[in-house]
Amino acid sequence: MYYSSMTLSVNLSDEQLVIEIRERDKELYGEIIRRYQTKLTHYLRKFIRNGDELEDVLQEVFIKAYRNLFDFNADKRFSPWIYRIAHNEALNHIKKYKRESFSLDDQEWEIMDESIDLKKDIDNNILKKRIEDGLASIKDKYREPLILFLLEQKSYEEISEILRLPRNTVGTLVMRGKKILREYLVKHSYGK
Amino acid sequence: MSEIKSGRIKLRSKYIFLAEKLGLGSAFALSVLLGVLFFTLVLFYLRASDNLRYLSFGSRGLFAFLQSFPYALVLAFIVMIFVAGVIIKKSGAFYHKPFGRIAVGLIGLILIVGVALTFTNIAEHIERRAFDGSNPDGMLFRPLFGAGFSKHDGGLAGKIVDISGKYIEVQTPFEVVKVDLSKLEEIPKGEIKKGVFIVAIGERKDNIFEPVNIQVMEGDDMPMIQRGVDRRFGGSAQGIPQAGSVGFCLAHCAQTGGDKIFCEKTCINN
Repeated sequence: MYYSSMTLSVNLSDEQLVIEIRERDKELYGEIIRRYQTKLTHYLRKFIRNGDELEDVLQEVFIKAYRNLFDFNADKRFSPWIYRIAHNEALNHIKKYKRESFSLDDQEWEIMDESIDLKKDIDNNILKKRIEDGLASIKDKYREPLILFLLEQKSYEEISEILRLPRNTVGTLVMRGKKILREYLVKHSYGK
Repeated sequence: MSEIKSGRIKLRSKYIFLAEKLGLGSAFALSVLLGVLFFTLVLFYLRASDNLRYLSFGSRGLFAFLQSFPYALVLAFIVMIFVAGVIIKKSGAFYHKPFGRIAVGLIGLILIVGVALTFTNIAEHIERRAFDGSNPDGMLFRPLFGAGFSKHDGGLAGKIVDISGKYIEVQTPFEVVKVDLSKLEEIPKGEIKKGVFIVAIGERKDNIFEPVNIQVMEGDDMPMIQRGVDRRFGGSAQGIPQAGSVGFCLAHCAQTGGDKIFCEKTCINN
C-alpha cells in the first residue's frame, strides 16, 4: 500500500500532492521533501554558510510548511509558497544571529559574471570574492530578487509570489540590482 | 519526516486559517468603516462648529482656529487609515499591485464615502448620542468632540444672553462668559443683541473675555455650538430637549428673554 501510494505520488504535481497529504496520506509529505530538499538547500546556502545551521533552518522550513499546509491555496503554485517560507526562515535566522554574509557556489559566480557582463580580465578567484562581497553589500531589496532570478532561475512571476512584490517592481529591482552590482565590481576590481 | 509519521508534528486545522482570515478581514473592514466615520465627523465638525469661522478673521483668527481644531478626530482618522494599511501590507492580499496605488485607492475611497455620508444626518446623530449621558456607546465619541466644547483662550463662540453697558454675557457650550467690548478694534459685523450667536477673537483675562473682533452669525451657521449651548443651558432634568420639541421651544424662548406665560402660550399652542 505504502509502495503504491509513493509510486503514484511521483506522477502528481506539487499542488495535487498537497491535496493528497491534507486529505488522505500524510506520509506523502516525504515526496515533497524529496522534491525540494536540494533546491531549498541550494537557496538557503546563499544566506547561511554553516552546514549545521543550514540543516536546522531547512528542517524548520519543512516543518513549518507541513504544519501550515492548509494555508496553501491549491489553486496557486506550491513552489513559490514553500520558497517564501524558506526565504522568511533564512531572514529570521540572519536577524537572530546577526550574520550578514553571502556565499556563492563555484558555478554561480560565473552565472553572475555572465549576467552582469564584466570583462574577463580579472582573476577568477578575485572576481568570485568580489561578487560575493558585492552581493553582501547591496541592499536586501535588490539582492533578494537578484538571487532568485539569476541563481535560482525563478521567473518574475514566481519572484513576485515569493517576495510578495508586484511583478513590475521585481523587474525593476532585478535591473537596478544588476546595475548596482556591476558598478560595485567595476569600482572594486579596477579601482585597486 | 519521522516526527510527522509519529504524529508529533500535526497539521494545523484549516479552521484556524479560516478564523485568521476572517479576523483579519473583519479588522480591515472595521478600520475602513471607522476611517470613513471619523472623516465624516471631521467634515461635520468643521462645518457645524466655530472652528472654521475663526479663519474669517484672517491671520488673527489662526490661534483660535488651532485651539478649536478637532485634533482627536483627525488623529483617530489617521490611525484608522494606518491600521487599514498595515493590515493590507501584513496580509499580502494585494501584493500584485503597488502598495502606493492601493493606499491612494483606499484613502480615495474613504474620502469619497466620507463626503457622501456628510449628506446624511449620521454625524449629527453621533454628536447627539455622544452628549446624551444615557448612551454608553455615544460617550465613546465624546472625547473626540472635546475641542468644540472646551474653553479656548483665543476665541469664543456662543449666544448672547445679556447686555449691560460695555459688557455682554455669552453662553458657550462650556460656561457663561462675561465679555468686555471696550477692546474691540473693529465694529462688529451685524447687530449685537440678545439671542444672537456670535464668534469672537481676542483673549481671556481673569474670567473676562476681551474680544478684538466679533462677528454675528446667522441662525444655523454653527449648529453644533447652538446644540451645545442648548444642552448646557436649555436642558431639562429629564434629558436634553430635541429641536422642535416643546421643551426645546420653552428653553429657547426663556433664553431669548420671553416671560413664562408668553413662552408657554407660544410653545404649547404651536
